[in-house]
Amino acid sequence: MIENTKCECGHQNRVGTVLCEACGKPLFEVDSGEVLEMRYDGTARRSQRVNPNIIDKVWNFFSSVKVAIYLIIFTLIGSIFGTIFQQESNFVQVDASKFYKENYGTIGDIYYKLGLSHTYESWWFITLLVMIGASLIICSLDRVLPLYKALSKQKIRKHLQFLTRQKVVYQGPIEENAVEWVQRCAGPLKKKGYRVHIDGDALLAEKQRFSRWGPYVIHIGLIIFLLAVLFRGLPGLHLDKHYWFQEGEITRIPDTTFYLKNEKFRVEYYSEEEMSDDFKGTGKIVPKLFETKVVLYECTADCGDPSKIPVLEEVKRHAIQVNDPLSYKGLSAYQFDFDLTPKLRSVQPMLVDKTTGEQYGKFKLDMTNPLREFKLGPYTLELSNKFMDFSLNDQGQPISKSAKPNAPAFLFTIKGPGVPDTGGQYIYFPKQIDKERFQQDAINEKLGGLQNKLELDVLAMEDVDFSNSSSYLNIRIDRAMPFVWLGLGIVMLGLIMGFYWQHRRIWLRVDDTILTLGGHTTKNWFGMRREVSSFLQTMGVEVDEKSLDNGGNRP
Amino acid sequence: MGKARRPVQVVILLLIIILGGYAISTAVIGGGDGKPVIGDKPPAIKLLGLDGEVHTLNDYKGQAIVINFWATWCTYCVKEMPALQAQWEKWRDQGVVILGINTGEDEMTVRNFTEQMGVNFPVVFDSDNEAVRKYGVVPMPTTFFVNKNGKISSIHQGELNLESLNDQIRQLVNP
Repeated sequence: MIENTKCECGHQNRVGTVLCEACGKPLFEVDSGEVLEMRYDGTARRSQRVNPNIIDKVWNFFSSVKVAIYLIIFTLIGSIFGTIFQQESNFVQVDASKFYKENYGTIGDIYYKLGLSHTYESWWFITLLVMIGASLIICSLDRVLPLYKALSKQKIRKHLQFLTRQKVVYQGPIEENAVEWVQRCAGPLKKKGYRVHIDGDALLAEKQRFSRWGPYVIHIGLIIFLLAVLFRGLPGLHLDKHYWFQEGEITRIPDTTFYLKNEKFRVEYYSEEEMSDDFKGTGKIVPKLFETKVVLYECTADCGDPSKIPVLEEVKRHAIQVNDPLSYKGLSAYQFDFDLTPKLRSVQPMLVDKTTGEQYGKFKLDMTNPLREFKLGPYTLELSNKFMDFSLNDQGQPISKSAKPNAPAFLFTIKGPGVPDTGGQYIYFPKQIDKERFQQDAINEKLGGLQNKLELDVLAMEDVDFSNSSSYLNIRIDRAMPFVWLGLGIVMLGLIMGFYWQHRRIWLRVDDTILTLGGHTTKNWFGMRREVSSFLQTMGVEVDEKSLDNGGNRP
Repeated sequence: MGKARRPVQVVILLLIIILGGYAISTAVIGGGDGKPVIGDKPPAIKLLGLDGEVHTLNDYKGQAIVINFWATWCTYCVKEMPALQAQWEKWRDQGVVILGINTGEDEMTVRNFTEQMGVNFPVVFDSDNEAVRKYGVVPMPTTFFVNKNGKISSIHQGELNLESLNDQIRQLVNP
């Protein structure tokens, strides 16, 4: 079907036009007296065509506000599912496949199996967001361009019906010459902030047109917001992990170029006096403060090469407390947990001659990557093996049960005076308790009897280096956040544009001695009527505000 | 006016399809917890070897790789070492590499152990547990079998004996 879209004024309108683009004469509902539909100034949405093809159909689908509303409703309903049980993204070290069944029973298991335990990362939720994004872009383009065109080439003289079917209408006689009267209108209207255009005995006054762009500014902001949210997962943009940082050690933060040193961790507990009597009864010990003093380093050279020692540069120091994270260039480290198990780091034993009591010197024995050779007096100690968690296997061979220095043992080959040239073997347990438990002397007796001649002994507590604790930090990087804020800022700007200003227009024309005035505003009709009535009053036309109301519910 | 509009529409729709498709596909693929599964490419690693060289998986491109996570304190890892060494000797000429990833031990411990066990296939140090994290290794030993096309064809948790290891490697070589 081909619609006749030519107006009587001679203008050829596009398919879907409601009000003639030139003179404003209604193309539908010609005979009804109802207030006009003024949305988009009556122009056709950009994509409306006579014979739509597949691209047009897709385009028209997303161009529909109805579709947009359904998409938003579906997304809202979808989001509800994500609030029923807690989401997997909250977990740090929990096996989700068991968690839901154990905590919420069968329903929880179904919830997990339906994938609702990660609702906001599921494909269908993302699809909805993408569709909303498409709808935002296409809806906006389809409306803002025709509206822009319509508003930037408005005809001053409008069809009489366009005026009489506005929501604010006045008709009445004037006694002056039409052209002169219209000219005289310009002054008072300009005073009210209107821009006035005159065409003989017709006039158009307009103000605050920019508020019409508010909704589209909102949409631009929302699109930026959506893009930021959808692409947050791009490599390098987002990180949310938890890692242990042993006190006194520089630890690499995986997937970044940063290293973090836990210099000192401390925890304070509430004392008896600080607790209420009720609470004392519960017998709980509650930490008042936990704090990790950290130094953040950035690797500047030799970073990805495991054969080289990375070059680190200190970039920030901070004492991390709960709710007071370390922040540096988008990287944040939050206090999450701690472990007060001490870990032996190194000892500095003294080599002592058992017969004479002579001390040959101290040496530093690290638990990890120790030096292999030590020269003490006339003796050379060669470290030939080490066992971090000493034990004996079924065959009676020494093994380590784990990588943790729970029961460290070191096997040396000692060379020097009174020892065979090939060297004598000597096992050393730094911890006194292990010495007794594993019978260091008995083992050394079997190894060659060096224990009668030499002894390794830690003389003072300062020769023992412990790492007292380790701190569990939550490392977060969220580089998409600035874009989220930018998007939201633009949304706010659009909201303010649309909320606090209104696009007001007044058309008037004089036919013979009859003045016809039509007024339109995007909102605040009360204010509009008052403005029109006050304007007419200055022109010598007394009119009651309320009588200007042409009725009708259309905005 | 109408002519210029069509390309604009097509460009915008294409952009939406590309960007949206990317977002949706990462949601579909990234649905797991990031641990590699059968059919995936093994995560890239760059680790220092016992030989003092830096090893990456690219060094073994076109070869079948048996990636074995182990430690000297893990009883079952120690038990399967002779089988791994035997299969290394048997298959190394047919484009099969056995790559032992030691988890978090220092050089002396590893060197003493390999010398004692007579292990001479490539062994690398995962000192920061980076590979363990990337591969999602929980129990040890865990062994990943990577075929010549660079895809994981099977994952084995626990001890491997000589026969099962042989079968697995044969499947890698003659799929």
